[in-house]
Amino acid sequence: MAEKHKPAPMVDEVSEFEVLEIAVRELAIEKGLFTAEDHQHWTEYMHTLGPLPAARLVAKAWLDPEYKKLAVKDGVKASLDVGVDWVNSMPTKFGTPSDYCNLRVLEDTPKLKHVVVCTLCSCYPRPILGQSPEWYRTPNYRRRLVRWPRQVLAEFGLQLPEDVEVRVEDSNQKSRFIVLPVRPEGTEGWTEDQLAEIVTRDCLIGVAVPRPGKTVNDPRPVRPAINPYKH
Amino acid sequence: MTDINPDKLKLDGEMETRNMDDSPIELLEKIKHEGRVWDDLSEQYGVDNPDPPWRITLEATCDMLADGYWATFNICKPKDERNTEQESKNLDAVERRWEEDQLVSQHYTDVPFPESQLLALAHTLIRRGLLNEKDLASRMAEVDQRLNSA
Amino acid sequence: MSKPHFDREHHVKKATGIGDPQCFKGEAGPAKFKVGDKVRIKDLPDIFYSRTQVYTRGAPATVAELVYESPAAEDESWDNTDNPVWFYSVVFKQKDLWPDYPDTFANDTVETELPERWLEPL
Repeated sequence: MAEKHKPAPMVDEVSEFEVLEIAVRELAIEKGLFTAEDHQHWTEYMHTLGPLPAARLVAKAWLDPEYKKLAVKDGVKASLDVGVDWVNSMPTKFGTPSDYCNLRVLEDTPKLKHVVVCTLCSCYPRPILGQSPEWYRTPNYRRRLVRWPRQVLAEFGLQLPEDVEVRVEDSNQKSRFIVLPVRPEGTEGWTEDQLAEIVTRDCLIGVAVPRPGKTVNDPRPVRPAINPYKH
Repeated sequence: MTDINPDKLKLDGEMETRNMDDSPIELLEKIKHEGRVWDDLSEQYGVDNPDPPWRITLEATCDMLADGYWATFNICKPKDERNTEQESKNLDAVERRWEEDQLVSQHYTDVPFPESQLLALAHTLIRRGLLNEKDLASRMAEVDQRLNSA
Repeated sequence: MSKPHFDREHHVKKATGIGDPQCFKGEAGPAKFKVGDKVRIKDLPDIFYSRTQVYTRGAPATVAELVYESPAAEDESWDNTDNPVWFYSVVFKQKDLWPDYPDTFANDTVETELPERWLEPL
């Protein structure tokens, strides 16, 4: 295991962007727009977030029908079993204007496929799924998914048969959503850890379906919107 | 399908005239052209992390600037310790996101994410008068010296 | 000139350790609609703030779930939390939203949440 002792590669260069990020933050703090303590507190919390708890929730639901029922009925309660307390994990202890405390788990069936979008801004279940990917935030995805879901999913490499109902969940109020996909064939006898590995972020948003051996997200199309953006 | 209420179109028109100055900002144009993005750096140095180390810090800055986040933390303090002047300084999360979308499509389409998010945030803050371009340039020089003097 | 002070403390006290929207549970009174009811989305004016998408206005939908109680976004954006209402998850047929949606995929749907005031019985 000689590789273990090799130091991890590092970027040994300070980019202008890194400098800009620090300068903006420092000036904002000096102007009193927020405090350094609050920023640090929030950053530390955000660093703890990622898609793993949601993947584990799905794996557990695949293995335990009772837990699946709970997840679909009360996503907030089911989250506790994967270490996410929607109310008390958050530094504020009650949510924020972006992160309300209601999780809904959308159960796919062989005839129903869910996919999540927020057409209004880019609401995302951060406490259980981490930061949203860039494409999820783009006007292109947000505008087009509701109107042309099959075309958009095809661009993501997901072609669904005619007899499958595609249900777009537009996350516009206080619920946040993850998709509970159908457990794929070829995973019989797998452990929770093995199953959780194939539940990628994209499967949890609904633009991909889990497949044995597939543990990373594909590079995704990021396209500008065709019409200029005005508000 | 019902017809679109004509008043709604009128309101949309009024919203458009509310648009702020959308000219490019010299300092940010320079960074856009000369700055090295994470995609290049990570490839050159063989680093796996898909995101630059400052992504979360930037995200936190955006959150802290938003009305709700600011209010959330501020209101937890006793009344006499609160800074009520802050009420006017916040930057609503939805408005910031809209401006990010608009600025990126207008000025930063060729910049990858999250570099584009960072440029759009700096742009928003400058044109809203919350930051000043000169102050930002001199602070960047200072930070650059600090990081490169070790 | 002194600035007006908006006291948001009441919400923090109410929601801390309980969560939002959980802290409004039981405050909306009896729900007007039940699961399976056919409704139409009203086309109300939304001069300042709304989270009811323009594409849903005037369209028919079916109530899929009563999700929680909360002040409507139009009130809450002004810090008015006096009138919590029921929120419903409603399902639209794509065809009812976009008349030229292909018939081949007639089963496709959109689901979203709306406060009671935006719904009328159909």
